[in-house]
Amino acid sequence: MNVLIVEDEKSLAREIASFLKKENFLCDLAFTGIEASEKIAVNLYDFVLLDLGLPDYNGLDLIREAKKAGSEASFIIITARGAVEDKVKGLDLGADDYIAKPFALIELFSRINAVARRKFQITSQDIVLGDFLMEVQSRTVTCRGDIVDLTKKEYDLLQYLVFNNKKVLTRQQLYEHIWGNILDDQYDSNFIDVHIKNVRKKLNIHAPAPWLETVRGVGYRVVLDN
Amino acid sequence: MIRLKTKLTLFNLLSRLVLAVLFLVFLPLIIERVNLRQVDFDLIQKREKVIDLISRVGIEPFISSDSTDAFGSYDILKEEFISLEKIDTPEDLNYIEVTSRMIEGDVIDYRVLNYSFTVDGQKYLLEVGRSLTSIQRARKNINRVLLIFLVAVIIITLATDLQYTRRILKPLGKITDKLKGISDPSTFDKTPVRTTTFDFASLDNALKELMIQIDEAFQKEKEITVNISHELLTPISVLRSKLENLLLREDLKPDFSVKIEESLKTLHRLQTLVNSLLFIARIESHQYLREDTFVINDVLKEIVGELKPIAEDKGILLRENYGQDFTLVRANRSLIFSMFYNVINNSVKNTPKGKEVDVSSSMKHSLFSVTVSDAGRGMAEEQMTNLFSRFKTRSGNETGGTGIGLAITKSIADFHSVEISVSSQSGNGTTFSFIFKENS
Repeated sequence: MNVLIVEDEKSLAREIASFLKKENFLCDLAFTGIEASEKIAVNLYDFVLLDLGLPDYNGLDLIREAKKAGSEASFIIITARGAVEDKVKGLDLGADDYIAKPFALIELFSRINAVARRKFQITSQDIVLGDFLMEVQSRTVTCRGDIVDLTKKEYDLLQYLVFNNKKVLTRQQLYEHIWGNILDDQYDSNFIDVHIKNVRKKLNIHAPAPWLETVRGVGYRVVLDN
Repeated sequence: MIRLKTKLTLFNLLSRLVLAVLFLVFLPLIIERVNLRQVDFDLIQKREKVIDLISRVGIEPFISSDSTDAFGSYDILKEEFISLEKIDTPEDLNYIEVTSRMIEGDVIDYRVLNYSFTVDGQKYLLEVGRSLTSIQRARKNINRVLLIFLVAVIIITLATDLQYTRRILKPLGKITDKLKGISDPSTFDKTPVRTTTFDFASLDNALKELMIQIDEAFQKEKEITVNISHELLTPISVLRSKLENLLLREDLKPDFSVKIEESLKTLHRLQTLVNSLLFIARIESHQYLREDTFVINDVLKEIVGELKPIAEDKGILLRENYGQDFTLVRANRSLIFSMFYNVINNSVKNTPKGKEVDVSSSMKHSLFSVTVSDAGRGMAEEQMTNLFSRFKTRSGNETGGTGIGLAITKSIADFHSVEISVSSQSGNGTTFSFIFKENS
């Protein structure tokens, strides 16, 4: 998939690109609004990651222009300006999602994937987790037909790890994904540990789940071979 | 403290009472003196008349040289008398005195003019007298009437004073109400208070100017906070992406991963701090919309549901006790969620194993309130005073928070006109109370 990263902070743009390349995206960079405007007019992108705080251009105008020109690119807005009006305006103009700086790269990736699934109407495949089966459509995990009794949060946590197969996710990244809306100043790694502990307990009632690993001092990871 | 209205009225009352006493003491005396002078004047005129008469008709018709040596004439009511008698005193007499005379069994006080004159070598004493009874009675009457009059005047003026001061001081009350009613200088009602009193108008105006100035200063401070926060978020973002990319490298040695994770943690602390400041600045500059309508008990249930696994893991009982449902209108649900979440989460963190945290809501006197009590270490008095200020954590805080959570809670509460109070004793746990003042 083709992604245009519009971000005036060059090193950030490069980091995003280097991450997305590993996920098999084709990345193009634009550091100014004018550059971006030209590139959007000429090339076909599936996604545009758009920083609203461009020095030379109102980012929202870029969306307006692109939509007018009939571009089919999906816009994901990136901004340090978490102001409500910007968010509402951006989504009103047809942006597909919104992510506030600083964000986790895997969170960005997960948002892009979510938009892609909607856009290309990909029906999520069920995922085999050893003895378990993750049924993404119905948001359940089963073991030989028995439903594992996970809470909504526990399921979200597990799915996030599964979708980021083989990547170590820090407690903080997991926390932000699940409780992103809550500004907890006393960020508590214990939260994630407790939930993972509960997930393990619930899985282990049915069968062992060795694929859910703890990476000492870093976080958690799901390792699946398929 | 006494109200200005009361003070003014009391002062007026006091000054009138003093005036009334002065009147009661001096006015009768003055009137009596005036009356006596009038009487004296009359007596002198009468004397002139008598002398005039005697000089025309001689002394004979009054006192004949042989038969009598005294003449007296009283009117029927014994109001006045005239008497003439022969005397032998060598000196001339001309004075006015008050004497009591016994007339037909009645003792009456008279004002008497004594005057001596000589006719045909014989000295006579003329006495012209007037009864003082009427004057004395008048004095009593004046006293009585004056008393009644003054009491009536005082009562009436007291009532009108009260009314009037209440009326003229009304704008002052309105100004005070305006000041009391604001949670933020920007919410100060800038429409002038209706008054015809110059002083109130200028007070109102001065306050308005002051509020505008304070508001501008506040806005500037908020703007600075927002701008600095924005500037800080970009480099944090860059660092974060770099570290996250590093962490994803497959050739990374495990001890490197741990170091990178630690750096990310520190960076996250910085990020939370900046975001919290930004969050507070946004709440305080009213950038959040208030257009949700929801039941508060539902929010509490949701939070308790989220925190239950943590509490259970710690061995803490999270007790719920909900009263009557209360629907909050024109509010921001996610802000209210954060407000309660911060406090309940804090309580769970600060409560030792085996103890409980109690979340309850109730409707009392048509005011909805929520209380969160824990059995934690509690706080000393001096900790409570700056509990809601930024960057103040409880001493010996092991959870490593930035101490901004309660400042956020406070600004959300202010934004929604929710009153927060804390009661705590060192060693005996802490109770937070939230009282919903609006639309309850």
